[in-house]
Amino acid sequence: MTSTRLIHSVGAGALEWLYAHRDGFRLEPDVDPEVGFLERFKPVAELALICKVLFREGVAGSRQAQLARQLVDHAWRHTLDGGRMLVLGQATEPLSPVPFEVYLPFKELGYSHPEAEQAFLLNQRLESHAALEMAPVRRLGLSAYQRRFGLPPRPPEADIVPETWLGRTPEPWTVEGHTAYDITHTVFHLTNWGEHHDGLPPRIADYLATWLPAWLDDWLDLQRWDLLGELLVVDACLPRPTWDERAWEGFAAAQQPDGAMPAIRTMPQGDPDEVFDIVYHPTLVAAFASVLATSRAMTRLAHAPA
Amino acid sequence: MEKSGTSTRLAGAVQGLTSELVSALRSGDPFRLAGSVAEGDDPEVTAGLALAAVRVVGADAVLPSALRNAPCESDDLSMFSKAVHAYPPPAGASPTSVWSHWAMRRALLRLDASLDGDWDHDAEPGAAWLDDAPWQFLTHQLAVLAPLALPDEDCAVARVARGRPVDVSRGFVRAVRRRDWLQAAEAGRWLVLLDGVPETLGLVTGLEFVAQMGRDDARVALQVQAAQLMRAGVRV
Repeated sequence: MTSTRLIHSVGAGALEWLYAHRDGFRLEPDVDPEVGFLERFKPVAELALICKVLFREGVAGSRQAQLARQLVDHAWRHTLDGGRMLVLGQATEPLSPVPFEVYLPFKELGYSHPEAEQAFLLNQRLESHAALEMAPVRRLGLSAYQRRFGLPPRPPEADIVPETWLGRTPEPWTVEGHTAYDITHTVFHLTNWGEHHDGLPPRIADYLATWLPAWLDDWLDLQRWDLLGELLVVDACLPRPTWDERAWEGFAAAQQPDGAMPAIRTMPQGDPDEVFDIVYHPTLVAAFASVLATSRAMTRLAHAPA
Repeated sequence: MEKSGTSTRLAGAVQGLTSELVSALRSGDPFRLAGSVAEGDDPEVTAGLALAAVRVVGADAVLPSALRNAPCESDDLSMFSKAVHAYPPPAGASPTSVWSHWAMRRALLRLDASLDGDWDHDAEPGAAWLDDAPWQFLTHQLAVLAPLALPDEDCAVARVARGRPVDVSRGFVRAVRRRDWLQAAEAGRWLVLLDGVPETLGLVTGLEFVAQMGRDDARVALQVQAAQLMRAGVRV
């Protein structure tokens, strides 16, 4: 089994990089409408989500916990301007679910903005919101967010699972990059980002336990670190994680001395903002995979016979 | 240049022999090994090339007879026997080389009962090199030894395969993802013989997919054809 120390160090490094580059989490109010103002909200949402997992699992060292708290605070106060940017975002694209999705993890972490919430609540009541056409895995995520916000999920998550790629447990040799991301996100939503290891229907958990090793092997060899990291999260979401040694060692070796995780093969070069946009996600994923895998390893230790 | 020319000609002879085998398996028509292999102006060179091609194809060079449980024509048997004896595994040969040669001797014995006495001296090699083999390596080694994947084969390698159906299934997935159609077809051939292959693998369509994607390589077609026939339990 991979050493817990190695797994933990990947997350500690990732958090150092994220904190050092926190200004990279930035919005662009004057962006070309063709690109869309909401485009840059996604990284902020992902940051809050991962930090929330870190607080929830409680296995980060005090320095990591402090960095995560400062990162979330920075994102709320500066990037989102205390929530005002969410209101602006919703006003810019009234029917978009994105501001709601960004808001939820912050709300769960104790931040709030009543005006933004009012807009979200109205949005949720629109038939158009339930009718928006989207991939089943995305719809699954929205229903999960509605439930977490205290709203009735429309439609209920259980109704959507059979519509997802993973829910149909298809031929494992057909998985391509985009399918793999659909798989990882279905797992994230069904387990509430690794909180409920029993959240996967047994049929799906068995399917993943059987085929995940083949996918880890493949994306490790392809040096697709971003996807490999998400698959390592999936491993940590299973009833019996494997902490795949070869995959973790390859993943850790790809990490830069400053904690950045390249998305594919090696670190990109060039304009710092562009580099940030490419590597912030795999670096967040590295922190996510690390904290979950560490937490599962420690739980196992706690349950091991003395 | 000479070496490269020879390997190209050998590869061509292997493809030619393999195509003939595929046709025989598909049609059920009698297969003649002698005369199926190489043609050329210099009879000596041609004969040497033919024997080398038979050695490369291994025990599968008599697969139609083996699956059909039918006798071989004497000149076919003689040619196969020559290839078996012309290329014994050298000292220090890899386990797959030793096993591949053993598989040929085994096939020869099955087709020619007069060799019974010989067999006693040819003990089955060990399979210890596969103990604790990671699934990737295991699948690769089994793939190389696909001629051992036969319905009634009970050797140490087949017993290892029978004990690890999920690992070989993972190896099949890996080979397809890497577009290694030959390894996928060879792994698939093992899988049709194993109990405990996960239903979600989709082996039947997987084999068809591999055959379609690897259609330019007769070796892929041979392995898929063998797998499909064995799966259907058909005596050709």
